[in-house]
Amino acid sequence: MGGPIDFNDSRWFQRAVFYEVLVRGFNDATGDGTGDLKGLTEKLDYLEWLGVDCLWLLPFYQSPLRDGGYDISDFFTVLPAYGDVKDAANLIDEAHRRGMRIIADLVMNHTSDQHPWFQESRQSRDGEKSDWYVWSDDDTRYSEARIIFVDTETSNWTFDPVREQYYWHRFFHHQPDLNFDNPAVQDAMLDVVRFWLDMGLDGFRLDAVPYLFERDGSNGENLPETHDYLKRVRQTVDAEFPGRVLLAEANQWPADVVEYFGEDDECHMCFHFPLMPRMFMAVRREQRYPITEILAQTPAIPEGCQWGIFLRNHDELTLEMVTDEERDYMYTEYAQDPLMRRNIGIARRLFPLIDNDRRIAELFYALLFSMPGSPVMYYGDEIGMGDNIYLGDRDGVRTPMQWTPDRNAGFSKADFAQLYLPPLMDPVYGYQAVNVEGETRNPSSFLHWLRRMLAVRREHPVMGVGALEVLSTENPSVLAYLRRSAGESGKEDIVLCVNNLSRFAQPVELMIPQLAGKIPVETLGRVPFPAIGELPYFVTLPPYGFYWFTLHEPGLDQ
Amino acid sequence: MTIEPADLATLLPDFLVRQRWYGASDLELAGVEISAFEVWREEWPSLIWVLVDARFGDDTVARFQVPVGLRPLDQTERFLEGKGRSMLGDVDTPDGPALVYDALVDPELALAFLRQIAPDEPVERVRSLNVEQSNTSVVYDERLIMKLFRRLAEGPNPDVEVTEGLARVGFTHISAPVATWRRDGIDLAVVRTFLEAGTEGWQLALTSLRDVYGSRLDPAESGGDFAPEACRLGQITAEMHLKLADAFGATDGEPKIWADSMVANLSRSRARALDAPAIAAAYDALRSIGDPGKSIRIHGDYHLAQTMRTDAGWFILDFEGEPALPLEERRKPSSPLRDVAGMLRSFQYAAEVGLAERGGAAEDDELRALGLRWEQHVSDAFRQGYFDTEGIDTLLPATERDRETVLNAFILAKAVYEIGYELAHRPEWARIPLEAVSRLVDSSRG
Repeated sequence: MGGPIDFNDSRWFQRAVFYEVLVRGFNDATGDGTGDLKGLTEKLDYLEWLGVDCLWLLPFYQSPLRDGGYDISDFFTVLPAYGDVKDAANLIDEAHRRGMRIIADLVMNHTSDQHPWFQESRQSRDGEKSDWYVWSDDDTRYSEARIIFVDTETSNWTFDPVREQYYWHRFFHHQPDLNFDNPAVQDAMLDVVRFWLDMGLDGFRLDAVPYLFERDGSNGENLPETHDYLKRVRQTVDAEFPGRVLLAEANQWPADVVEYFGEDDECHMCFHFPLMPRMFMAVRREQRYPITEILAQTPAIPEGCQWGIFLRNHDELTLEMVTDEERDYMYTEYAQDPLMRRNIGIARRLFPLIDNDRRIAELFYALLFSMPGSPVMYYGDEIGMGDNIYLGDRDGVRTPMQWTPDRNAGFSKADFAQLYLPPLMDPVYGYQAVNVEGETRNPSSFLHWLRRMLAVRREHPVMGVGALEVLSTENPSVLAYLRRSAGESGKEDIVLCVNNLSRFAQPVELMIPQLAGKIPVETLGRVPFPAIGELPYFVTLPPYGFYWFTLHEPGLDQ
Repeated sequence: MTIEPADLATLLPDFLVRQRWYGASDLELAGVEISAFEVWREEWPSLIWVLVDARFGDDTVARFQVPVGLRPLDQTERFLEGKGRSMLGDVDTPDGPALVYDALVDPELALAFLRQIAPDEPVERVRSLNVEQSNTSVVYDERLIMKLFRRLAEGPNPDVEVTEGLARVGFTHISAPVATWRRDGIDLAVVRTFLEAGTEGWQLALTSLRDVYGSRLDPAESGGDFAPEACRLGQITAEMHLKLADAFGATDGEPKIWADSMVANLSRSRARALDAPAIAAAYDALRSIGDPGKSIRIHGDYHLAQTMRTDAGWFILDFEGEPALPLEERRKPSSPLRDVAGMLRSFQYAAEVGLAERGGAAEDDELRALGLRWEQHVSDAFRQGYFDTEGIDTLLPATERDRETVLNAFILAKAVYEIGYELAHRPEWARIPLEAVSRLVDSSRG
């Protein structure tokens, strides 16, 4: 960590570990009860110490905050509560100085209804911006597009009394969709991209990309026009800002998501959504098939691209992408499992989801850090923070970061009542029990363990760029795989990962005669294991145990 | 290098009777005769393909396939360590004394063997599976599996016949045939795709049960719930039956013949504890049903250990049929519900074996109740997956009442068979099918 960034490295994101930050909830430098960019900047030393490579900031733009900032009312201004554009520039510089990059959320599909573009568009049917949004005299067009927020919206059309027409919105009615058929809108969005990349931002996480265009007789998702525009964004970025990354949020089935990579001429990264719920299911079922099945169904991606993988994020455990897949695995599993069903639509953090079991948490991170993709962590999960489901909507997982056992969890010097959300105070997950200061001082804490894992992962770029080969084992509770890639000196780089998904100790015989003669060395302790032979390689694992082995030629360690 | 057939013949009797696939330990071996002897590889290690006819005291004859390998006696090979059972003995050859052994334990010869019967398949590595029943299996490159039939039967091997038939009509949830080696209409060996990353259904069910018993939660609430898997297994089972009907045809079911055979088996049963009249009544109910559904070629020996979970879903293996039956019997069509019955019986065995793993847990009433709940819950899911599969009703009795009558009769018949088997081989296990029978009889009394 540390040291300047190599800006010529255009594939950095393939090996990076991302850290998702809620600016509002991370650190309050101004004492007004809400986190801010200055506060985040103050904590960069901590993030550098932890060993993350890239921060992902949730939206920090000017917004009426009716949808957590995803309702942007000015793309060129920072929400005053978070600071100003100068603070953003300073944050980026300071992060770069510490060897960390920063990407930020960008919502291209829609704006807030408070955005001046919309205010101008609704004023007249023939003004300069009258075609910047999707207007219609009736509310029957594009009826095949599903309603995404079925709990709050009854139609994708809402009547505007000012213009006396309906406007189109795929999400909340206060978030009108921009009309990307209008070249002026396309150009305006490119200017937004340029503005922030020019300031030094290292890329964007593109929110809700499948919905940019509307067409009669289609469901309005993944349209060719949408892909064409994303390719145009990519060309602009590559030509004017090489080395920056576009990360797409397309909550779709992997076979559809890969479309967003194009031929490495669209988005550099896409989130792999189904992997996360299946990791939970695999540990619950104590068998690997939920995971291996989805890996088998995941198509290959272009060489210069990468999946973004995660355990938890700021949204609920979503099943959005499987509802159409009637025969799908998760549908059957979830429909019959009361515990999992309870968690649908409720945002939970990792530790409450696994009953605060540290062994399971370690297993989950071992899986996350060794699966194909770049891991995206969620702020607070590194110390095992909990959630407050009584806060409603998704605020339950957006409580203040817990820095110390002091007032307001060390998050803010404001009066308690002034905080944007109360910090957790329950005896198990509350800030007096779970906080960065305490865990930093305790060498056996989860935080220290995670930091060591990040350091080990950094030593093995194969975890980011290697191919995955699932190994045949008869024990269904054991998930074993090889990560392998051509190493830098032409020597093949291989890591053997063995995971026990069960709460019981498990034996496993690995069929790896192709590796006969090699000595497995466990990566955390550097302990050499017996050499692999022609016979099945026998390993025993403690409950929820895992090993990462590098493979050495015999004699090298003597 | 080679040897005289006569020299080999003297080594064969001792070797044969030691093999698990010999399967004639209750008969006296009167003599052996070599009926085929082909040298497939001259140089060390040599490979000779041999068929041997074993004549028994009762004048019946069985034919066995025994490929043998030869290596110089002074070379000790690591693969032979601990393989005493696979040794035939020493012989003199023109090149000095040699050791004769079962060729398939020799990786080099196992590769040579495959090249002989499937020359188009390039393979590099070999691994033997530690299971020997009526055949010997070898895995190549974790990609192909060769099954060598040991005790040969006249006529087509049912496993080969059914697997090829299913592949022909496009059923993909089987280990797909790659090559078949047969001579004079007799199947000698098959090469198939090896199901990678597969777990036997039996192991998966026990994984679930360990979780249920360990957590003492209701099976539906426990993390290791097996019901969704069982539901998908039921679907695949129904799809298999539809494809079997495609491949081998369907005829009207013959409930009277089914009942006759069940009654005959019951009368042969040695289990005194059985309530024979009540069981016979359940069988006789078959005679009066309106629509028995179809008879099709079935799996015939369907239970959890014949299924394999892989990344591509459930696969179904081993279509040999019930091993205790003569070949013609095994190939006879029957009701598809007989396979369903077999699987449902398997769920009870799984629950009981899971309990037995926990030692004294069999006395723990709470765990016993959980085991029962698991069996019920998983059976319901399997039945749901099976009966909800589109098209399966064309093979089944039209009314639910007839369907249950047929299914119950087959479950009972299977349990009665199990009682006989357990009393003969594992008397302490007889309790399991006995309990099932009394449960079924009680419920049919209503």
